[in-house]
Amino acid sequence: MGKPDFRVQNLHVSVEGKEILKGLNLHIRGGEIHAIMGPNGTGKSTLASSLMGHPHYEVTAGEVVLDGEDVLAMSTDERARAGLFLAMQYPAEVPGVSNANFIRQALNARRGEGNELPVLQFHRKLQEKMKALNIDPSFAERYLNEGFSGGEKKRNEILQMSMLEPRIAILDEIDSGLDIDALKIVANGVNQLRSENIGFLIITHYQRLLNYIVPDHVHVMMQGRIVRSGDAKLAEELEAKGYDWLKKELGIEDETVEVEA
Amino acid sequence: MSEVNTAVSHVHRVAQALGEPSSLLALREAAWRTFQELPQPYVEKTDLRKLTWEIGSFSEQVGKVPAEVQAYIDRLQHSYALFVDGLPIDFRLSEEAKAAGVTYCTIHEAPEKAETLWKANFGTVVAANENKWTALNQALFAGGVFLYAPKGTHMEAPFETIYVWTGGEAGAYSRSLVIAGELADIRYAETVFAAAAGAKVVNSHVLEIVAMADSRVQVSTADAFHRGSTHFVTRRARVDKDAHVLWTVADTSDGTCVELVENELFGPGAKGLARVVGLGHGRSHVELTASMRHVGRHTESEIVMHGVLRDKANTIFRSRTEIVKGAVGAGSEQHDRMIMIDGTARADAIPMLLIDENDVQRCGHAASVGKIDPTQVYYLMSRGIPKSIAVQMIIWGYLHDTVESLASEPMRDLVVARIERELSR
Repeated sequence: MGKPDFRVQNLHVSVEGKEILKGLNLHIRGGEIHAIMGPNGTGKSTLASSLMGHPHYEVTAGEVVLDGEDVLAMSTDERARAGLFLAMQYPAEVPGVSNANFIRQALNARRGEGNELPVLQFHRKLQEKMKALNIDPSFAERYLNEGFSGGEKKRNEILQMSMLEPRIAILDEIDSGLDIDALKIVANGVNQLRSENIGFLIITHYQRLLNYIVPDHVHVMMQGRIVRSGDAKLAEELEAKGYDWLKKELGIEDETVEVEA
Repeated sequence: MSEVNTAVSHVHRVAQALGEPSSLLALREAAWRTFQELPQPYVEKTDLRKLTWEIGSFSEQVGKVPAEVQAYIDRLQHSYALFVDGLPIDFRLSEEAKAAGVTYCTIHEAPEKAETLWKANFGTVVAANENKWTALNQALFAGGVFLYAPKGTHMEAPFETIYVWTGGEAGAYSRSLVIAGELADIRYAETVFAAAAGAKVVNSHVLEIVAMADSRVQVSTADAFHRGSTHFVTRRARVDKDAHVLWTVADTSDGTCVELVENELFGPGAKGLARVVGLGHGRSHVELTASMRHVGRHTESEIVMHGVLRDKANTIFRSRTEIVKGAVGAGSEQHDRMIMIDGTARADAIPMLLIDENDVQRCGHAASVGKIDPTQVYYLMSRGIPKSIAVQMIIWGYLHDTVESLASEPMRDLVVARIERELSR
């Protein structure tokens, strides 16, 4: 399989009849890191959830294509098996299902029938990845996200990502609620994965994360679309000056389209 | 011959066939009269007016052990007693239990083998005059064990009673009595295998547990009562000072059942836990009450009930905590949660708190009925797990802790297989 190629064209998404994304375009290739920034309520998380196929979000127009395949025609689990990964802002807690069992089921689903990873190999790989992310070994047998702190949940998302080796990884506010040490660990996890075989879409509203994960492309989202794109310097400029200058330049008074949770 | 005479002769025949002493016959006859005298009971969510009080027959012919049961028995490493249609078929007492000086026999042999303990305890935890079906059980009981673990006995391996009903017209009136001496720490299990009944009769099962001071008893049950008859189940433990009785109840019945599992927290500092998993399927009607009755001071209890419903099942889970006047400083928690897989099923989660004492430490309850949480399904699917597998993983996760706390590996496997059979359809 060649380098991943992920294309979003003219994406329109509604939630309960209200249009949130209004024609969004994005093109991510293997080896690239794209960052999407923007104030709260501009549609960033809607983009992440709708790309993963959350049933709450309705795509009304546009195209999403991964390696030539129509993503919008796929169910959520098919998207994941095709190589799409979303590190969630608020991952669900599932009591009674151990982290290790969950990750193994997911990995084997991704690898396909007849190509399952033998149990021992799986556990060796899991322990290695956990060590790299500074995660306690007891993590494996704890129930999925149950009673996890905010930081543990985020690290668990990164652990899953590094186990599943997706082709396109979307990180939705992976930095929120993390202290600086946890942030470095998470960033380190992403940087270790960085290669020609994976493309990243990092959603954040703080520039802070981008000090540790240096993006190739930075996009600013307002009113449900990308209003400005640039390189890593754009993020620094936003950190220094805020968003108001950009709003003024673009003639935008209210940048929001939704009330984010 | 009148109906009454037929029944009385039935009582005699049961007693004779089991070779009981005559003192027991008098007890049975008295219970039979109580059964006849007691009025039709009222059960809140089960309409008994439509149900029969016809009693089942009793066969002296030893039935065949079904292949499924034999395969199960073959895996057991611990002490067990096997009853088929009420008759004792197979019995094993482990070397470890022998060495511990445990008394283990059929309930019919107990009046002779353990006279003092028998007299002091039989019918004191579940009394004949409690209601119509406990009276019926005491009149007709056939099959069951007597177990006494002397002071300080500590055994990890359970004692398991296996009740098998092969169908036909046999009535099921099993009854066991388990006594844990002071400081004893034991495990006891009951497993039911049943084929659909040939006739509609009323059945009544009783288990009495006596947990003496500072003892600990873990009880596991795996019930699968059959369609056709009505099953009343009364399982109760009397928990003495600082003793602890923990129940794990797994019910996959497809019949009509009214079940009670109860701890009477009698002594000061007594503790109780009841974990229940229920799978309702087909047209099952199961009204199951898990109850903690706080009598002693500083008694503590917890009830955790998890139900999963399919098809046109109707399951009623009632968690009941009673704190009587004088049970100062009692604490209790209840969790009752039911998941509907099919919209055609019906679930009732009923929390009950009956509190007559002002000085209560804490008393919490939570009850809910609902579908599987869609955000959990989405999360698992977002990692590539197909929806049907995601749903099963979530349900198994939800049942996991209770199933894990069952007494033995074969018992866990049996319950998993019974649930799996209905979930994977």
